[in-house]
Amino acid sequence: MPGKTDKEACLFSEANVRKIETDYEDWHKNRLREEDRQLDGKYFTPSGIPVKLIYSPADIKDIRYSEDVGFSGQPPFVRGVYPNMYRGRLFTVRQLAGLGAPEDCNQRVKYLLKHGATGINILFDLPTIRGYDSDDPEAEGNVGYCGAAVDSIDDMDTFFADIDLGSISTSIVTHLPSTSLVIPGMYFGVAEKRGTPLQKLAGTCQNDFIMETCVGSAPEILPPPVSFKMQCDVIEWIVKHAPRWNPVSYNGYNLREAGTDAVTEVGVAIANAIATAEELINRGLKIDDFAPRMSFFWDLHNDFFEEIAKCRASRKVWYKLMTERFGARNENSMRMRFHVQTAGVTLTATEPLNNIVRSGIQGLAAVLGGCQSLHIDSYDEAYSAPTEEAALVSIRTQQIIQQETGVVNTVDPLAGSYYVESLTEEMTHRIFQFIQKIEDMGGLVTAVENGWLHREISKYNHTHQKQIETGERKVVGVNYMKAESEAACPIEVFEYPETYSRQKARLEKLRKTRNKEKVKSCLEELRAKCHSGDNLFPYCLEAVKNHATLGEIEEAFREEFGLWSFPLMG
Amino acid sequence: MERRIRVVMAKLGLDIHWRGVLLVSQFLKDAGMEVIYIGNKFPEQIVEAAIEEDADVVGVSTLSGNHLTLGPKVVELLKAQGMETVKVFMGGVIPPNHIPILKGKGIHEVFGPDTPMQTIIDGIKTAILGTDPPTG
Repeated sequence: MPGKTDKEACLFSEANVRKIETDYEDWHKNRLREEDRQLDGKYFTPSGIPVKLIYSPADIKDIRYSEDVGFSGQPPFVRGVYPNMYRGRLFTVRQLAGLGAPEDCNQRVKYLLKHGATGINILFDLPTIRGYDSDDPEAEGNVGYCGAAVDSIDDMDTFFADIDLGSISTSIVTHLPSTSLVIPGMYFGVAEKRGTPLQKLAGTCQNDFIMETCVGSAPEILPPPVSFKMQCDVIEWIVKHAPRWNPVSYNGYNLREAGTDAVTEVGVAIANAIATAEELINRGLKIDDFAPRMSFFWDLHNDFFEEIAKCRASRKVWYKLMTERFGARNENSMRMRFHVQTAGVTLTATEPLNNIVRSGIQGLAAVLGGCQSLHIDSYDEAYSAPTEEAALVSIRTQQIIQQETGVVNTVDPLAGSYYVESLTEEMTHRIFQFIQKIEDMGGLVTAVENGWLHREISKYNHTHQKQIETGERKVVGVNYMKAESEAACPIEVFEYPETYSRQKARLEKLRKTRNKEKVKSCLEELRAKCHSGDNLFPYCLEAVKNHATLGEIEEAFREEFGLWSFPLMG
Repeated sequence: MERRIRVVMAKLGLDIHWRGVLLVSQFLKDAGMEVIYIGNKFPEQIVEAAIEEDADVVGVSTLSGNHLTLGPKVVELLKAQGMETVKVFMGGVIPPNHIPILKGKGIHEVFGPDTPMQTIIDGIKTAILGTDPPTG
């Protein structure tokens, strides 16, 4: 926080501020009506930050421009991570793709690239996300829905058929650390087979233990300390071997979707990054060996200015932690880069076309917040994974922001807004407070193990829903200006019911044709390494290259590490 | 005294989106029902729990596309156990054209996103107690 002593560095002179404060008192007393004044203290952002009727220089009187805001591409990076921001390179249009079998996804990826997507974000079906092969009984009913089925390195090859892996940037949405040990390895293995060196590969895998233990609850979960250790294994191996790859994307997004406010979203993600940094430093790495490759993933909700302030504040918090706590020297360690997805939970099934507007506004906030890449949700997502038509509207929305609105022509255009700067300061303060709270509890792994974070999510959801039920929080078409008839929606749903049989046949063939002895010895070695404390990535990579399936590797983890029960709230 | 309705709530199969199911569980509890949340389960386990808990209602939640394969199975297995009086409700992201199919296979009601909690509570009460909820 700004010190009281260096008033000279502040934006406004003390005399000016005093005058403004007097003017404000006068305005408040004489211009406002009594009923206006009674509303003082009654407005809040969704994170609970009080919102005043009007903001003035007096609200940001302690801000010192050079230290607290500065220019883009320089400390504290509030205004953006690169000096030229979107003039240098527009944010990446990174839409999710993933449905059906690998060959279906290959078609969708080509479709998106053809229409101007500049990066890809590949999403898997739930059996793949949870580490089950398509023919596992646990996979029943979920194969190829909500994402693509990928069981082996051969599926990954099909997924990216005719696409040059050296020339695209691919985000692999692996969610869990345990599958991040395996699926990126399939991608790396395919690249190697095609003669593309790992050094050339650009991309990201998600790899977040919060996803495994808090957000994506499922019947079988690895214990938090195991999942956290795997998260660190993936980062450690990848920063050494695939230097352009982001081995982690701290996923505030899905936590927010599960039910938290903006402060918790960012606070948990950064607390996770702190825990990781400490672990990797314990393993002998230096902060600048890996911090430049840590990336983040935010959820941009409806409250326009709070979301923009969140983006700005998160960069500042990161900068301060990296320099003051970890002593980073490389500026790339201090630049918080993040991907944004618009908020799926804000989409309504009622009047789905309204979702185009919601997502468009959230996408605009992301760009004003200085994101590096963006996925804009599609209007039909309250019904199914996006159809081609809806996915195209999302890409077009991004292109309209890029090419027609002019917002990308100047850096951080909301800087200097009394409200936005004041919110940014307050968010920064609250994120630090939240991180401190987690540390006082014994760190993030503990806060997950003892169920604290789960309870927080549950409480938030209950309160939030109550506000919708009572009408205190308005949702257009749902509890405000309610749609009169629930007319049948013209949305066509994407379906690939044949995925299951195709994947099943493929797995049968794979199991007959691969070198069984080799697979067996790879899996045995991996099992042994589960108890040695070694980094598991190279052993998974070897198994994958020898055609071990995702499910076989994950089964080894489940058996070797045992399972943890999700601490559900009553 | 009004009889307490017993509800077994589950996430269907591997689906990981648990926000809705826990929220509905809490609101049903607040409305005076006995709610047993059993987590991620497959139809066989859901029916086992329904028998064990002597449930009036089974609520299954899914947002990941397994509703057509796994949903009707719950109804069939209940029938096979002579438990056809147990009403099965479904909630989640369900394409509109799938709702008639599900109802045709014995799912009592399907609640999509945006459904007010009161609608769910009233729907269950009407189905079990056979009375219309008080209006106004």
